[in-house]
Amino acid sequence: MKKICILFRSAPHGTTKGREALDFALLSASFEQEVSLVFVDEGVLHLLKDQQPELIGGKDYLAALKALPLYDIESVFACKQSLGDYGLSHGLLSIPVTILNDEAISAHLKAVDEVLVF
Amino acid sequence: MILHHIQTSPSRDNALKLCLRYACKEDAILLSSDGVNALLLRQWAMALSPFKVMVLKDDVIARGLTERLKNISQIDYSEFVAQSLQHDKVITW
Amino acid sequence: MMSKFIIQVNGPAYGTSASVNALRFTQASLQSGHKIVCVFFYQDGVYNSTDFNLPASDEYDVVKGWKQLAAEHQVSLVNCVSAALRRGIVSQQEAQENGLSHWNVEHSFIMGGLGELVTGIESADRLICF
Repeated sequence: MKKICILFRSAPHGTTKGREALDFALLSASFEQEVSLVFVDEGVLHLLKDQQPELIGGKDYLAALKALPLYDIESVFACKQSLGDYGLSHGLLSIPVTILNDEAISAHLKAVDEVLVF
Repeated sequence: MILHHIQTSPSRDNALKLCLRYACKEDAILLSSDGVNALLLRQWAMALSPFKVMVLKDDVIARGLTERLKNISQIDYSEFVAQSLQHDKVITW
Repeated sequence: MMSKFIIQVNGPAYGTSASVNALRFTQASLQSGHKIVCVFFYQDGVYNSTDFNLPASDEYDVVKGWKQLAAEHQVSLVNCVSAALRRGIVSQQEAQENGLSHWNVEHSFIMGGLGELVTGIESADRLICF
């Protein structure tokens, strides 16, 4: 078992990075790895509620975020500064996340075994 | 200790900016591909200055930047391999 | 001391330098006596596996480089099959399963799943992404 951190730094929908990140996250968890998700920079836009990607030919992969507890993915972090930059207050988020400052994110990146950036 | 690996130019991509936001003082930063161009811009050269910075030698030579980047540690691929093992992990941003 | 690497390639064969750099890192780690658990192609990295890449004769052929490396060092080149199918990268098996008369991935590349990336990460000392 390894501690695998998946870091979302790209916005949803414009590229498939977020979707391929989430696919990997769920698969890692189903292979019983200790998975954590970190949303930073434009990646925090994954957390915004009421998105409708079907309108632009996308798939509603963000619905899978709600299933994270079923996969035992409990470490879901978002960067405080990035949330502020994009004006995302708690009430606008689709799932509960732990908000971390830069130092806490650095400490998390240090603590895990591998980090995959999408 | 983390080896942060940046392979894109800071003019096109936020990779370097984010890496610098979360890097710790003891971490090292390896610039490869267009990532090496960051050192040509004063703003990024200054931001990188507190860190141990390395550039991938062939990416520097290929871009005609050997002389411009002569004060930066230039490493070959076998040194890249060694550095990846000397650090606890490699994060490619 | 021998260490084990897993290499993840996310960039295509033509368009960015990610694949070439990944190949050179992999070659260097083998030359230094390390082991490669596998090279895993994800996202646009799956574009490295098509046999229909036709670079001009005087150009560097990174796909040929991967195939040579795999043959010489018994390194597994593994595609993420779901990433591949979505990008038109198809082996004979998927072609038959989907009623297609053509395919572009031959035997040098294995169609695998993300599970192979996860188990590879688990058994390797380091994951290096390009």
